[in-house]
Amino acid sequence: MKMIKKIVLSSLAVLGFTLFTGVANAACGKITIANMNWASANFMAEVDKIILEKGYGCEVELVPGATMPTFTSMSEKGEPDVAPEFWANAAIVALNKAEDEGKMHSVNKAPITGLGEGWWVLPATLEKHPELTTADAILKRPDLFPHPEDPSKGGFHICPPGWNCELSNRNHFRAWGMEEKGWMIVETGSAAGLDGSIAKAAERGENWFGYYWSPTALIGKYNMQAVDMGEFGGKDNWDNCLVKPEQECADPKKSSWVKSEVFTVTTDNFKKTAGKDGMKYLENRTYPGPVMNGMLVWMGENQAEGADAAIEFLKTQEDVWTKWVSGSAASKIKKAL
Amino acid sequence: MEFLSKIPVMDRDALRELKKGIDYSFKNFSREYGDAIEGFFDPLLSFLIFLEKLLVNTPWPIVIGVFGILAWIGSRNYKLVIGTIACFIVIGYFGMWKNCMATVAIISVSTLVCIVVGIPIGILMSKSSRAERAILPVLDMMQTIPSFVYLIPIIMLLGIGKVPGLLAVCIYALPPVVRLTNLGIREVDKETLEAAEAFGATPMQKLRSVQIPLSLPTIFAGINQTIMMALAMVVIASMIGVRGLGVPILQAISNQYLALGLMNGLAIVALAIIFDRVTQEYGNRIQRHRGTTKK
Repeated sequence: MKMIKKIVLSSLAVLGFTLFTGVANAACGKITIANMNWASANFMAEVDKIILEKGYGCEVELVPGATMPTFTSMSEKGEPDVAPEFWANAAIVALNKAEDEGKMHSVNKAPITGLGEGWWVLPATLEKHPELTTADAILKRPDLFPHPEDPSKGGFHICPPGWNCELSNRNHFRAWGMEEKGWMIVETGSAAGLDGSIAKAAERGENWFGYYWSPTALIGKYNMQAVDMGEFGGKDNWDNCLVKPEQECADPKKSSWVKSEVFTVTTDNFKKTAGKDGMKYLENRTYPGPVMNGMLVWMGENQAEGADAAIEFLKTQEDVWTKWVSGSAASKIKKAL
Repeated sequence: MEFLSKIPVMDRDALRELKKGIDYSFKNFSREYGDAIEGFFDPLLSFLIFLEKLLVNTPWPIVIGVFGILAWIGSRNYKLVIGTIACFIVIGYFGMWKNCMATVAIISVSTLVCIVVGIPIGILMSKSSRAERAILPVLDMMQTIPSFVYLIPIIMLLGIGKVPGLLAVCIYALPPVVRLTNLGIREVDKETLEAAEAFGATPMQKLRSVQIPLSLPTIFAGINQTIMMALAMVVIASMIGVRGLGVPILQAISNQYLALGLMNGLAIVALAIIFDRVTQEYGNRIQRHRGTTKK
């Protein structure tokens, strides 16, 4: 009798389970995820794709994009549905507005821990000159960082044209009086140019000084050190001057970098399509900084793309991602790998 | 059957090791010789900086005047001169003067480099069919390989800035001048050459006084094409830190600034049309002077 009861119960449980997942599968339809054009976002998009497809039965398509075009498209056209790693500082006002209107949702306010922007140097530089940990100390030594086009000046590497950080770095350049201190801006031209300049300096044992951000493969790979930029110079100085075009920022004051607001944002459509489960996954999905940097280094060393890295991550770091998903989704994902 | 349905693929790890090996050896090469190679290009860099500074710091009426005179010398066509001057004034009026001068500087220097390197190679190819067979595939590769592919090693070797940008431009823009020099010399009338030989001309004399002058129009068409292709590379060169009209275009792409992109794009088009018409007119003129029937 007991035996029969057990069988009935367990088969009921199995039936219920399959029915439930059947419903869940049906509930999740077609969604699109923004595949941003840098490594960590690319990797996150691929992980989300596998987890939402295998674990929650969604049909996922990745669409390439950069920050601002993706945001515009999300708020205006409702597509793509998810931006896994959205650097919101640039569009915070517009994002808040879209959220108030119910068009978009910031489901996760910290998808990666320990990230940030700012000025960095290579560890080899600090070994030789241990005093160069602060921006003030570095700016006194332009001779250590010769500009490629004019070695008598210090070279300050800034963002490629068109990035939001290009404007703020140009304003910082004025705020810190760098021109008078003997510095000149190095135009990097593109992400490849900026990365290449760091890689070249690191491989050749040259000094490098400029803007970068974490989480990135380069920060992990070369163990780059953040420069202490001192106190934050106030919200007004930042929002109304440092991030504006040069003409609109007459009197910039020096400041450390603003805290990076990186969110996972979704459209309203995602909330409907992927349902509570999908939302819950995105809410829980927080990558610890070192794990993320580690994956990025792995990608760099193996010249792997986000898709390969996502599989590697899901295979090797189970203890990280199983916490994000429900037990049933976890087992389905494991099976699918 | 599996052999037929699935293409044999190299083992994943081996493939990874191969890629790593290539990267590693290139990194070693760049660590070993990078500084020396950079030093080799230093004179070119100083010349580029000098030219850009000259163009930017000279008062604009003088610069535009010089461009007008150059257009006149090239084309002897007053309409073209007026067009040139108007274009530059409009470009300046819309706030693109500095970037435009930077672009003119890098385009002129890369065209110069292409001519200095390309014409001798073209002559070599026309003299030896073996050289032609060896060089042609290289030229094909230079024209078709996506520029982003060679940008990576160039950055590792030379960093970012003007010289790597110049190299990237030259790799793409060199082939036409080489090809058309070769073609022009090979197309010179056999009978004319025989006549020169009959007068006892040495090969060098033949080349200098018969072949090159007669092929000048074709060579000029090559130079014209080279300039056009160099202009097409302006945006790519900006991606590795070359100042110029390409920078605002990159800005426009990432922020969807329609007007900014359009204005700078049209400025490049204006430069292209000016360069093209002037060199074409010049080519036509030397052709008329030689009295050839080719049009």
